[in-house]
Amino acid sequence: MMNSNVTTKHRKNAGLLSIIPGFGQFYNKQFVKGIIFLVLTIAFFSSFSQTLNWGFWGLITLGEIPLLDHSIFLLIDGIIALLVAIIGLGIYAFNIYDAYNNGKKRDEGFLLNSVREQYHNLLDNGFPYLMISPGFLLLIFVVIFPIIFVILLSFTNYDLYHSPPAKLVDWVGIQNYIDIFKLDLWRSTFFGVLGWTIVWTFGATTLQVAIGVFLAVVINQKDLKGKAFFRTILILPWAVPAFVSILIFSGMFNESFGVVNTQILSMLGIDAIPWMTEELWTRFALILIQSWLGFPFIFAMTTGVLQSIPEELYEAANVDGASISQKFRGITLPMVLYATAPILITQYTFNFNNFNVIFLFNGGGPAIPGQNAGGTDILISWIYQLTMTSGQYGKAAAITMLLSLIVVVVALWQFKRTNSFKEEDMM
Amino acid sequence: MSNKTEKIIRLSISYLILLVAVTIVIYPLLWVIGSSFNPGQSLSGSTMFPENPTIKHYSSLFDIEKSNYVLWYLNSMKISLITMVFAVISVAFTGYAFSRYRFIGRKNGLLTFLVLQMIPNFAALIAIFVLANRTGLLDSHAGLILIYVGGQIPMNTWLMKGYLDTIPKELDESARMDGAGHLRIFWQIIMPLSKPIIAVVALFSFIAPFGDFILARIMLRSEEKFTMGVGLYELVSKQFGNEFTTFAAGSVLIAIPITILFLSFQKYFISGLTAGGTKG
Amino acid sequence: MKKSLILLFMLIASIALLVACGPDREETTPVKTDETTTETETGEAETAEEPAKPEKLIVWEDTDKSAALKPAIESFEKEYGIKVEFKELGMADKMREQLRLDGPSGTGADVVTLPHDQIGQVVTEGLIQEIEVSDEVLSTFSESAVTAQKYDGKLYGLPKATETPVFIFNKALMPEAPETMDEVYAFSTDFTDGKKFGFLALWDNFYFAHGVIGGMGGYVFQENDGALDRDDIGLNNDGAVAGAEYIQKWYAEGLFPKGIIGESGGSAKDGLFNEGKVASVMDGPWAFQSMKDAGIDIGVAAMPTLPNGEHMKTFMGVKGWHVSAFTEHAYWSTKLVEWLTNEENAKIRFELTQEIPPVTTLIADPIIADNEGAKAVALQSQYAVPMPNIPEMGEVWGPAASALQTIATGKAEPKAAMDDAVKNIKTNIETNHPSK
Repeated sequence: MMNSNVTTKHRKNAGLLSIIPGFGQFYNKQFVKGIIFLVLTIAFFSSFSQTLNWGFWGLITLGEIPLLDHSIFLLIDGIIALLVAIIGLGIYAFNIYDAYNNGKKRDEGFLLNSVREQYHNLLDNGFPYLMISPGFLLLIFVVIFPIIFVILLSFTNYDLYHSPPAKLVDWVGIQNYIDIFKLDLWRSTFFGVLGWTIVWTFGATTLQVAIGVFLAVVINQKDLKGKAFFRTILILPWAVPAFVSILIFSGMFNESFGVVNTQILSMLGIDAIPWMTEELWTRFALILIQSWLGFPFIFAMTTGVLQSIPEELYEAANVDGASISQKFRGITLPMVLYATAPILITQYTFNFNNFNVIFLFNGGGPAIPGQNAGGTDILISWIYQLTMTSGQYGKAAAITMLLSLIVVVVALWQFKRTNSFKEEDMM
Repeated sequence: MSNKTEKIIRLSISYLILLVAVTIVIYPLLWVIGSSFNPGQSLSGSTMFPENPTIKHYSSLFDIEKSNYVLWYLNSMKISLITMVFAVISVAFTGYAFSRYRFIGRKNGLLTFLVLQMIPNFAALIAIFVLANRTGLLDSHAGLILIYVGGQIPMNTWLMKGYLDTIPKELDESARMDGAGHLRIFWQIIMPLSKPIIAVVALFSFIAPFGDFILARIMLRSEEKFTMGVGLYELVSKQFGNEFTTFAAGSVLIAIPITILFLSFQKYFISGLTAGGTKG
Repeated sequence: MKKSLILLFMLIASIALLVACGPDREETTPVKTDETTTETETGEAETAEEPAKPEKLIVWEDTDKSAALKPAIESFEKEYGIKVEFKELGMADKMREQLRLDGPSGTGADVVTLPHDQIGQVVTEGLIQEIEVSDEVLSTFSESAVTAQKYDGKLYGLPKATETPVFIFNKALMPEAPETMDEVYAFSTDFTDGKKFGFLALWDNFYFAHGVIGGMGGYVFQENDGALDRDDIGLNNDGAVAGAEYIQKWYAEGLFPKGIIGESGGSAKDGLFNEGKVASVMDGPWAFQSMKDAGIDIGVAAMPTLPNGEHMKTFMGVKGWHVSAFTEHAYWSTKLVEWLTNEENAKIRFELTQEIPPVTTLIADPIIADNEGAKAVALQSQYAVPMPNIPEMGEVWGPAASALQTIATGKAEPKAAMDDAVKNIKTNIETNHPSK
């Protein structure tokens, strides 16, 4: 306590000095580290200053002269600059943190690590960061960057009449979000589409999960022969690209000429079903098709999980005289659901925004009298057509963000409920 | 006795169910294969067992003079294989880090990974295009591969982490006692035990680029760099073109390598997700 | 303490960064500005006097059509000594997509080809530029084709080829083309039995249905002094409703099967025709080749007249050559467009790709006059109207198709369906296209 003045001296000095990166380390007499920081900083500024200047200017103004400044490209350059700056700031913050920390150690009278020790330290504590950084960097530019772009786009007035290069795009704040709720177009149709979207999400996903789990359990019976054969066949729908399968199904379900009506149903003595022109049947067909497309994935996952369930559990259940269905409900299902919960939730969110199958099968049709959405349009496909056919890119982005927000919130809430994030072992 | 009849009934029902499932799964596929051997061009005219089968659609695809399919096919194979290798490596790294280390940002990192894959980003294609353009990766396979690898990371990291969590930590700890370094533990202890999940990740990251046409269509400009997915899509999207049978032949060709890959990895799926480790 | 200190430093750092880019902005921007302005300025200057020749020009041609382009660019190279490179791209959507992306990046083409109904949109976006050609050149084309290339009274390209749906029949099943739709109807009622069909048309698709609706008196946008009035939509007037009722008749009586309705309807129809199960169809000239390939002996004629005695007012599509807004060589690009569409090259185009150029002297030329398909298209073109090329047209397709589909499936009465469609179109236009 008596030398409290002294104790904070080094950490303060080191921290303050490292406003110029490296100097705090020099102060702590860690010269190698200091030089590394200094060189990094100089390299960063010399190679990125152009990018940063140009990027931030573009991001703020979105261009000033039409035909010359391309707002969208400027926006993108701006995001790149932003990402670069954040990475730079991260390193900078670490530099201060490091100087401050080592200063603190000196204050407390510890000896500082030698270069060799620093190296080992870095390897030990930094190893996880080292491992995730290549993947993470890639993720930032390939996945996060486009998402930031869509978010920012939703705050601009980018549409057909504000299209670069002829016109500039401007920031309009939350105008798009306000407009979305004011559009007359929506009111009459919105709830109908929302209802079907929910039915679709739960119907199609639950069915594909149920089929996948069920078949995996059936095949996993110990005394069943030909496991490899069945597994191979059942995984096949996965091997064909989805867009190919969907287009083929669209042909097979043709009312007058598709095999479903002309061969399968007529063989069973059932009259032709209006697959493509009656809303209800198109929806039914879509759910069946999505199940066909989606179950192999669940099937493969479940197969894996099933084999990790300890045999003793079943043996114990057998001793207690449990029936097949009791064992399934008491052991198999909870284990499977527990292990695959995060994946299952992503399946639901995937189908919520499953544009491809809706669009490629029947273009969202059949048409419904008096509505501007087709009978099988889900929110995403309906909105896509409303906005993209008339070049309403800003609004399209705003709606994408709203839909994503809904999905993410619901999903996170579900994740919390599945306990995936509480158990230390799962986390 | 009653046990035995019960078993017979149970198995019979199981086989019956599987038979139905196999029929439903295989019917459309057989139908595509059948179509690809049909002499005509149209969807409605094709039958599963054509009267006079022909391989002309295949030979027209493989006719180097007239079509680039052979080239596109090789491109697809190349891209998918490289994506697979890189995705497996980076996913193994990230999965391992998330499973074995407790570091700042871990929990948020994991959550971010989950959330990221839920956001539909077709509005963002232009962003990817411009980024590629700025970095000079437009119209190059390298750029496309980077995007594919990045896209594979979130989902597969979760799978990988989930699997690694089931490998007992005592294994690493005892190895550490023996003086093994980080990399050695990862490389010589964990990875050999992770073959099944590596197979799964490999399969996923092979399939995704093989069937993709959206990204590839934006990124690739010159015909000789196209992939099979783009080629096939162009075939069906020609506004008034109607070459369904050729399309079917192309689809069969796409499905073959994936099926083969799956068959060769089948062993690992079956050997089970935790078969290699000691059960905890 | 520790955290707040770090936060403070980060704040300082970020402010430092932002401040740093303030002054630098003046430095960076003008550099960029200079580059681009020179481009634009020279681009404009070039139209005035003959500017320096570029080393090469890049052309984007429609898929599978470059056969006709090659001889034309060879002669152009010989004449002017400018090298021309080309690439094939799908005209319907890919051309526009890539111009949007590649143009501003400087990797786009100098000359592109587009269907004329996209002109309004691409001009609004600033992707193609106005061109100046002499009246002498313009007079070689049919008037309607030139009109199709204009937007807001300005010329944005020269027509390369026109197309419009015609009556195609299988000679083995229908020896001669009927004069009137009533005859077709009578023939069809006899011939159609659920497996074979007398006449098929995709009348749930507005592109084809317009022939009937327009012929009966409907219209999309009223034309006033050469400009389309987006507020005057005639798709629910008496004529349009009569047309819709006529369309419904064909579906209701089972003459058109349900399997040709909707997204996959087109391929179902083509498939049936190519298998010889359909006596006649309404389709565009692009379909000829695959029909011939399928071994069908086809005859082609203009569409038969409607029950009211009028000709079908089919939509005419005009493909044109345009000069990219991003080119540095507007003058020479325009020269190239003129060259590609001149009589000689237009003739070559017809010979090699069967596309019908709207060059007036060629239409009388035996090469077209003696070609059954080309003659039919040329004949039908006289009754056809160019598709509207204003951006508002984008709002018409969806609602119109929905209305037609519900009419075809009998879910809605023609009058009510067309009223709904017009209402939707109007709302969409008001929402998405602010009035000027």
